[in-house]
This record gives sequence, C-alpha cells and structure tokens, in this order.
Amino acid sequence: MSRRRSHLDVLEAESIHIFREAAAQFRKPVLLYSIGKDSTVLLHLARKAFYPQKPPFPLMHIDTTWKFRDMIAFRDRTARELGLELIVHTNEEGLRRGINPFDFAPSLYTDVMKTQALKQALDLHGFDAAFGGARRDEEASRAKERVFSFRAPGHRWDPRKQRPEMWRLLNGRLGTGESARVFPLSNWTEGDVWRYVLREKLDVVPLYMAADRPTIVRNGQILMVDDARMAPKPGESIVVRRIRFRTLGCYPLTAAIESHAADIESVAVETISATTSERQGRLIDHDQTGAMERKKQEGYF
Amino acid sequence: MPSDISQPRAGTSARVTSVLKDLDGLVHILTCGSVDDGKSTLIGRLLWDASDLPEDTRAGIARQAGPDGVPDVSLLLDGLVAEREQGITIDVAWRYFDSGRRRFVVIDSPGHEQYTRNMASGASHADVAVMLVDARHGVKKQTRRHAAILDLVGVRRVILAVNKMDLVGWDEARFREIERDFAAVAANFAFRSAVSLPVSARLGDGVARRSAAMPWHSGPTLLDALNEVPSRGTPDGGAFRMPVQTVLRGGQDFRGLAGTVCAGAVSVGDEICDVLSGRTARVKRIVTMDGDLAAAVAGQAVVVQLDTDIDVARGAVLSSPASLPAAARTLEVRFVWLADDPIDASHGLLLRTATDLVPVSHLAIKARLDLETLEEAEAAGCQTNDIVIASVELGRSAAVDPFTACRETGCFVLVDALTGGTLAGGIITAIGGTRGASDGQSFRLTREMLAKGLCRDLDPRDAEFRRRAEEVAIILRAAGVAVHLDDGNGD
Repeated sequence: MSRRRSHLDVLEAESIHIFREAAAQFRKPVLLYSIGKDSTVLLHLARKAFYPQKPPFPLMHIDTTWKFRDMIAFRDRTARELGLELIVHTNEEGLRRGINPFDFAPSLYTDVMKTQALKQALDLHGFDAAFGGARRDEEASRAKERVFSFRAPGHRWDPRKQRPEMWRLLNGRLGTGESARVFPLSNWTEGDVWRYVLREKLDVVPLYMAADRPTIVRNGQILMVDDARMAPKPGESIVVRRIRFRTLGCYPLTAAIESHAADIESVAVETISATTSERQGRLIDHDQTGAMERKKQEGYF
Repeated sequence: MPSDISQPRAGTSARVTSVLKDLDGLVHILTCGSVDDGKSTLIGRLLWDASDLPEDTRAGIARQAGPDGVPDVSLLLDGLVAEREQGITIDVAWRYFDSGRRRFVVIDSPGHEQYTRNMASGASHADVAVMLVDARHGVKKQTRRHAAILDLVGVRRVILAVNKMDLVGWDEARFREIERDFAAVAANFAFRSAVSLPVSARLGDGVARRSAAMPWHSGPTLLDALNEVPSRGTPDGGAFRMPVQTVLRGGQDFRGLAGTVCAGAVSVGDEICDVLSGRTARVKRIVTMDGDLAAAVAGQAVVVQLDTDIDVARGAVLSSPASLPAAARTLEVRFVWLADDPIDASHGLLLRTATDLVPVSHLAIKARLDLETLEEAEAAGCQTNDIVIASVELGRSAAVDPFTACRETGCFVLVDALTGGTLAGGIITAIGGTRGASDGQSFRLTREMLAKGLCRDLDPRDAEFRRRAEEVAIILRAAGVAVHLDDGNGD
C-alpha cells in the first residue's frame, strides 16, 4: 500500500474519475469504440470505473465497411466476451452513392463515411455525450482540446466556445441542442497506451504485431491487400512483407511499417523509442496543412 | 521505397525493462510569460535537450536552423491555425515529455493581461510554475500579476527563469538584482518555494545543462529544479475526504460509493461521516476491479462500501469524523470571471463543487482585486479577467472546505443555469453561516409536484427531470421567491 504511485497509476485514476463524472452528468452517453489500441485501453478503464457494475453505456462503432477484417473479428469477440451492447452504424446513403477510398479523395471519403456517419448515429440514438480515445499528444490541434469538449447544434466544434476547465472540476451541463465529446485519455501519450496494454495484459488486434502480409507499395507507402477490393494498378505487384501498423483505420488509407516486432513488448519498445511521430501512417492527415483542425470544425471526432 | 525497417533486436532486455517500466512520477509545469520573454523557446529548449523527440521532428527543426547553426527550438510548439496566423498563443496547450524517470506535462498559457482567465485555468492544474522574465527588463508589473494569479489558484512552487542572460553579458550583478526584486514580490504570497534561475533558452545555458558562461551560478539548472518538485500522487497527509461521484450496484445488496480520494487516506474499518446528513458508518470494503484494498490514499479512484446504508449519493463528501468539512450555506469566495459577458444578476447561477451542483440564491460582489497593487477596490460587478471578492448564498447546504485547508473541496466553478457555460472559477476563503438541514421560510419544490406537472413526461431518475426542476427554481428565485428544491437526491 505504501508503494509509490507511478505515472500510470496517476493517469489511470484520472481517467476513471473522468468516466464517472461524465456518466453521472450526461443523460445518455456512448463509448465510441474504434477497435484500436486506444479504444482497448479506453474500454478497460470504463470497466474499472464502474466495477462491479458493467459500464452504464453501450459501445458504438462507425463502420465504413473498409476496416481490416481482423478489426471486425476483434470487435465482435470483445463485445461478446464482455457482454456489452455493441451498436454498429454505417452511412447507408454513402454506401448507395458508392463512396469509397479508391475513387474519391480521402478528405471526401472520410467526411461522408466517418464524420457524417458519426453525426447520423449520435442523432439517431439521441446520445448527448460520446467517449473517445483522443489524446492531446497526437497532433498539434489536439494539444488544446478539453476533457469535456462541447459541440454546438449540428455537432460543430468551435474552438472559441470551449469551456475553461479548472482544477479537477468538470462541468457537463449542456445548453439546448449541445452535445459533448469526452476524452478520458487526454493526458496519455502513445507510449503510455502501450505500457498500459502490457501492464494490464490487454489483448489488441493482431495487426499491431509484425507478420508476413500481402502488400503493395503506392505513393511510397506500404498498404496491405486485405481483400480483393484492392486491385494492383499497372506497375504494382502484390509482395509479402513483414509489416505491422502503428494506427488502425480503413485499410486502403492506413500505411504499414516494415518491422520485426512480433509481440506487444517489442512493439512497445519500438514505439517508445520511435523515430517518427505517430500520425505519419494516416494518409488523411497529410491532405492539407491544419487538416485535422479543419476536420474537427466540421465535426470529425 | 520506405526504408523505415527495424532489425530484430537481440540482447535488449535491459533496455526493454527500463523503457517499459512505469515512470516514477508525473509533474505539471505551467509556463507563464509573454512571447517576447522567449517562452516558446524555453519550452522548446527543454524538449530539445532533455526529452526523446521523434527523429523526424528533430531533423525537421535542424534543417531550418539559422546561419549560426542554432536551431529555432520554438518551432516545436506550433498551435492552432488561427493562432499561428496571429503569431501569439491565446489558449492553454498541453505537451508531454519524459526526462529520465519522470513525465513532465507542460501547460502553456498566455501571459498578457487580456488572457488572465486562460492563465488562471491553466495554472489550476500546475504543480509548479515557471515564470519567465527577460534579463534586460527584469521583474515587471506583469510578474506581480502572474504571481497573484498563481497564488489564487493554489500553485505553491514557483521558479523565475531569468532568460536571455547572453544578452546582458552573463552578468551576475544583473541576475542578483532581479533575484532580489522577485523575492520581494514572492514574499506577498503563500508560496512554499520561490527561486530565481539564470538561463539562456536560445543557447540552452542553465536549462538542461550547466552554463560555462555563468560559473558564478552554483544553484541548480532549470531541469534539476523541476526534478525536485514532488510528483502528482504523493500522499498529502491531510484529513480524509472523498467526494462521491456516483453510486454503483452489483449483485445482491452491493451498494458502493464511487469516488477519488482527494485528501488524506482511509482504511477498512475506519469510521467516516457524511456532514450533510450528519450520519456515520464504517468502511466495510474498498473495492477495485483489481481486487479489494486495505486502504486508499489521496489520488486513488475507488469504490467504498459501508457497513450500514446511510443513503448518501452524489454530492456527499465522505470525511474523517475527527475533521469534518462544513455543511455551508454562505461562503466567502474569490473568483476569476472567465466568461465573455459581464456578470448578470438576472441569470440563474449554479455552483459546482467537487461533485455537487447547487443553486446560488444570492451572490454579492464586494471588491475587485487590483493584481498589480494587490489592493482591493470596491466593486459591484465584474467582467472578463476580473478577480473579485464576493459572498455567495446557496439554495441548500453543500459540503465544502476553505481552499487552504483542502484544495479539492475548496474550489468551485460558477455555471450558467440556462446555457450550461462555465462563467467563473474560484476558491472558498471562508465559510459563513452554516445553517442546518431545516430551511426556514422557503418554498419547498418537491419531486411529487414536478412529476404531476412540468416533468410528467419523464422518469424521475432522468437527468432532464433535475434540470427542469432547477430551471423552475431559478425562475421562482428571480421572481423573489425563496425556493428549496427538495427532490430527495443529490446532484
């Protein structure tokens, strides 16, 4: 008991505190579950926050239909094993219009299949708060994000309308038409997420670990050929490479890195002593300068 | 072709264990000063010299170095697009770096007077503040203003970084003069430690390495000084306090009170008291998903099960019976006005404490604090960035402490009842009248009345029920009716 509390102990307690504040203050929260390592940690902390009760909110996944197959399998198994309600939402209108990551600009695809889909799902179910796994260390525009981040009617994020947060006090009282995003991992770093995955012995999607996988190289990035929808263009050939992913999203938009880190421990070591910053692997962020900030103003999570 | 391939690592086990181990501590540093004082450069220098930056980031900055080869480390701190265009930092930004066995969280807030509110909110999270002055200009009025804000929100350790020592020829006499001026300023406040350190953020002298140019400086470098600050989560030795966040149930008869211990410690078997009801019970179990604990200390998030059900809910503060918080209806406070619009007495206000949300029935501003002279000027209203002294009367009792006795149960924010906005952040300086549970002559607005009327369409457990009830109470109070909202529940 007199054991000195480590930085992860402090972060864990803070996240649990945030979960409990949000669940007590909002009428109908939901946990946005995106299947990756951050969501894995988020879900684990949610379970700790309400133990011995189950978390008093469902999980929701925005499925673009272009996620890695391993992600979908992991998602369904996790919800089943933990006995949690899982809502899966896809923008059917976008599907009908044939919006896909190959024939449309990444920014348009992301807007329709992720941003619009999320807004639809939140409105459809009447959720007034959504937990997300965003961290302030991910990207410059996130460095100023609040723990309780408010969205005006229509889910718009106005950086000038965010509420000051003082001490440990979190004010979740909503104005008419407002909703909130809640970020319990605000103060975690990518390295912390991996350290915690290891410490708590959490299961993550196998794609984070290096294995031989079919790939092509396009625009200098290694992409995995996860199914037949990804056809090689002239001059491209499918080559088996030993790869893994630092972040997981839609497979045609998520670049892999060549690596031999085949277990969580090696992945964590590689990440913590990393030579490149995390979002390098996300193609949507390189669209334009200030891309993430603009996406947030439009309602991207 | 991507060339980012890592080779299998052999014999790295020592490195593996050290990299993967939890860090020993976590310290929040507030940096304050203006752009001209070289604040971005100072933070950038700490990141550049003392942390493991990703190599792509490092290479990018090195490429942009000027003709003298000194990298512009301030480029490590780019912010929002709007701010880049204005060339100033206007909000509070958070950055994380590891140095040695410690995590440092840098809270970067603007220093200009028109951003007092941003600085106050940033400072409320800090374990230590690094204040920055230009060695050529020394301590300014702004330094005194910053010190006053830090003191108000409870920062107890401050470091004055006397920057740009290279531009005064590394002159010891100049440094000593500034050091004396700062000691005189700091003496006005309740800081536990206040030290001055000579640095050159641009060149790195005195930041993470000792300076050959300043052999006369025998004190620590800035990094050494930051390493001396006690980590967040160090037990505080105060009287036990745990504000109840929510009630959890599980299995048969399990009713647990979830919360974060915010002061002192509690063990199984200890007697605790809820000051609002005056009832006591003993701790039967301290539950976590990782197993039951024998005791919990400040900073731990736990679930407490009591041996008898004393029916406490969110808003209660479990406390040591030997040292209770107040069940207060009248508070003497100081707060910083955060909102864009001046205070408007006709708006309903709510006071949010650690976990309670209480209607304010009356708020009287007495004086405005002049941060540069530290004098109090009589005032009746307040606007953005003002720090005022006021008395607050609550619609019902809340469990609180003076801020100096317990930080977490002594602070509050004022909330606009209709828009939900956070209007002010403040501290309790004294407890006024502590009326008991009986509420005198006020009108009792009960759950039953609401369930028959305005809230007919709602389940009584719905948060909307409570929200509408509070709005009715606010409207009635605005009409001059003293109202007691009696819904038999906490927040």
